[in-house]
Amino acid sequence: MNTSVTSIKLVLLGEAAVGKSSIVLRFVSNDFSENKEPTIGAAFLTQRVNMGDHTIKFEIWDTAGQERFASLAPMYYRNAQAALVVYDITKPQSFIKARHWVKELHEQASKGIVIALVGNKLDLIEGGAERKVAREEAEKLATEEGLLFFETSAKTGDNVNEVFLGIGQKIPLKKPDEQSQGSSGLRINDDNRVDLAAGGPGSSNAGACNC
Amino acid sequence: MGVRSSSSPYSPSSKEMYQKSNSSSSTLVGSFIKTLRTGSSKQQQQQNPGAQDGNIEAMRKSQTYLRRSTSHGHAVSGIHISPLRSSSTGKCSGKEKHHHGKSDKYFTDLDEDWSAVIEDYNSPIPVISNGGMELKPPVKVSSKAEGSQSPSSSTNYPTLPNLTRALSADLKSQYEKENERNVQELNSLMHRIAKFDAILNPSNSPQINLNDLRKLSWNGIPAIHRPQVWKLLIGYLPANTKRQHSLLQRKRLEYRDGVQLVFSKEHTRDIPTWHQIEIDIPRTNPQIPLYQFPLVQESLQRILYLWAIRHPASGYVQGINDLVTPFFQTFLTEYLPAAQKEDVCRLNPREYLTEAQLQDVEADSFWCLTKLLEQITDNYIHGQPGILKQVKNLGQLVKRIDSDLYDHFSHENVEFIQFAFRWMNCLLMREFQMDMVIRMWDTYLSETSLETSSSKADNVSISSSSNSTSHSTPLDSPRKVQSSTGLRANSAGSTLSRQTSLSEFHVFVCAAFLVKWSEKLISMDFQGIITFLQNPPTKAWKEADIELLLSEAFIWQSLYKDASSHWR
Repeated sequence: MNTSVTSIKLVLLGEAAVGKSSIVLRFVSNDFSENKEPTIGAAFLTQRVNMGDHTIKFEIWDTAGQERFASLAPMYYRNAQAALVVYDITKPQSFIKARHWVKELHEQASKGIVIALVGNKLDLIEGGAERKVAREEAEKLATEEGLLFFETSAKTGDNVNEVFLGIGQKIPLKKPDEQSQGSSGLRINDDNRVDLAAGGPGSSNAGACNC
Repeated sequence: MGVRSSSSPYSPSSKEMYQKSNSSSSTLVGSFIKTLRTGSSKQQQQQNPGAQDGNIEAMRKSQTYLRRSTSHGHAVSGIHISPLRSSSTGKCSGKEKHHHGKSDKYFTDLDEDWSAVIEDYNSPIPVISNGGMELKPPVKVSSKAEGSQSPSSSTNYPTLPNLTRALSADLKSQYEKENERNVQELNSLMHRIAKFDAILNPSNSPQINLNDLRKLSWNGIPAIHRPQVWKLLIGYLPANTKRQHSLLQRKRLEYRDGVQLVFSKEHTRDIPTWHQIEIDIPRTNPQIPLYQFPLVQESLQRILYLWAIRHPASGYVQGINDLVTPFFQTFLTEYLPAAQKEDVCRLNPREYLTEAQLQDVEADSFWCLTKLLEQITDNYIHGQPGILKQVKNLGQLVKRIDSDLYDHFSHENVEFIQFAFRWMNCLLMREFQMDMVIRMWDTYLSETSLETSSSKADNVSISSSSNSTSHSTPLDSPRKVQSSTGLRANSAGSTLSRQTSLSEFHVFVCAAFLVKWSEKLISMDFQGIITFLQNPPTKAWKEADIELLLSEAFIWQSLYKDASSHWR
């Protein structure tokens, strides 16, 4: 309980219906629902992960995928230390959109932002659907752009926790106030607030488990 | 104006009724709201009746009521609430089943002949007495126990040996009381239905008085009238009863032709739009069985696609898929017998509709969605300026009505857009169960200020505000009458009323909704606040709760509507 807690602000980006909210739901509540209502604006969730003697608290902004809401995205990624750029491995269009998000993040987000490229809906392939985004193609993009890369299934839970663990490992364990601070927009990483939250396990998101 | 105060228990009676008087208004109304807000609905259900008959007498003596509005020179000093039975809405709360019809639904009559209903009432009338702000709760009808469930009133039961007898005696009296109340509620409902009948079937003219209809509908529309009344309120169905049939025929045909054209080979499919709608349809109201039927999904997909194609400036935006469903569902009930209207959420329309009827429902839904979206176009065009403005206004409003909460949000770095974006984008639909949304829309659609030529002819409209007042048709100007005060004199005498836009009223509803949780929120940190507001505890809300919310919004609007003009 008294281990040091690092808070990581993380944002999810990606085309509509690729499974952003489902990945978060799997990670936070270990749950899945087939037809989740489309996210409007953005949803906020948190989850704690123990890594050795250290606890990482993910503060997650799950953004809406539709293009019309894209103008809100900067508000959420501006001060983020990590981003998941999600696409659907059966939808090539969603991979194109993922490229755009990676580009935008490199141009607009904090310099040290850790980005994970996530190809979701692996279960569909196992169920016989045709893969439309080759793993190699995504790996190539990840290598070129310096991204973490995962293929996941929010439905089965396959590889989902690994994404977050991977990000946790890549972000240097510093005190929150030493982490990159943006100049405007959301200031989610309020030092005091994080400490407060750390003192009260009940204050974390309902249904969250410490995994 | 502060927001938190300790207070006496109160009744969540729905629509306020103001007594016109000469004393000053705003502090009293403010403290009324404070008083209202501090109670919780659960508490309310357990309150005992305490109002005296003298209060009824007092109400009878007051001749003039200031209804739904205050304006300069008209002050409010007493607020009378009568527990009349409200309209019925369908059981459409997903998995949740309400004890419909027996739950605490109270209704405030607001018309001139209100006393006629009061006469039938034996139960005490709760009265917020003049100045004293003492609130007497009405007898609440607790959810009727199915089987032998114990009554929900806070009776202190004797110890175990006596339990059975005491319980059965208690149950019996409870049951009798409930029966009595149910009869009263039924009478009240019948009375309301009769009033709607009278307005919808005017005896000496083909013209329906839309202002009267709007006033009556603000407090809820009986399920049997809802489909027709919604179509009238939103300006789809003409007020002239002689023209209604031909218009419906024409519009339904027009829709059918539109669909045919858009899905013909000549028309190039807008793939991204089609794709976006296609993936959202199965995700629309996933908890309600009705929306899982392929027949329904196909209907909604056609409606949304055709709308998107015809409105390229906006196009399809997520959230619009939510907005079409109350229309669709309500219009389906037109084809269900009264006893089954509440089952619309789970019945397959194929079982009770012909192909042609389904097409009519689809066409009507399309046109009404079109009318609704005309009023909030700015919410969905590029950059969504309408929503941004509303969110900003909400912030400014909360700063005025609950500065403690506003300051707390600032301190915790909570920004209004983080939680209120969705409230605006989906008109709070994600925050409530479907049957509550439908009840809310009775009021929302009554708030739409569609001044048709017919209603103008029936009423003298005098603008008493310095703000510009537009009476253009909705087609010319989707966002008109932003903030104006209309003094409308109608045949029944002078009634104060007011015209505003739906989006403006919605901001006040959002403000009322937010400050309702003020006490809780102020003790929370960033994470707690956002998490709470993303999933507010409204699943058990009943009509009375929604009606209280709408009343509070109305009061805030009455107090701050002038201030709102400075926000822009």
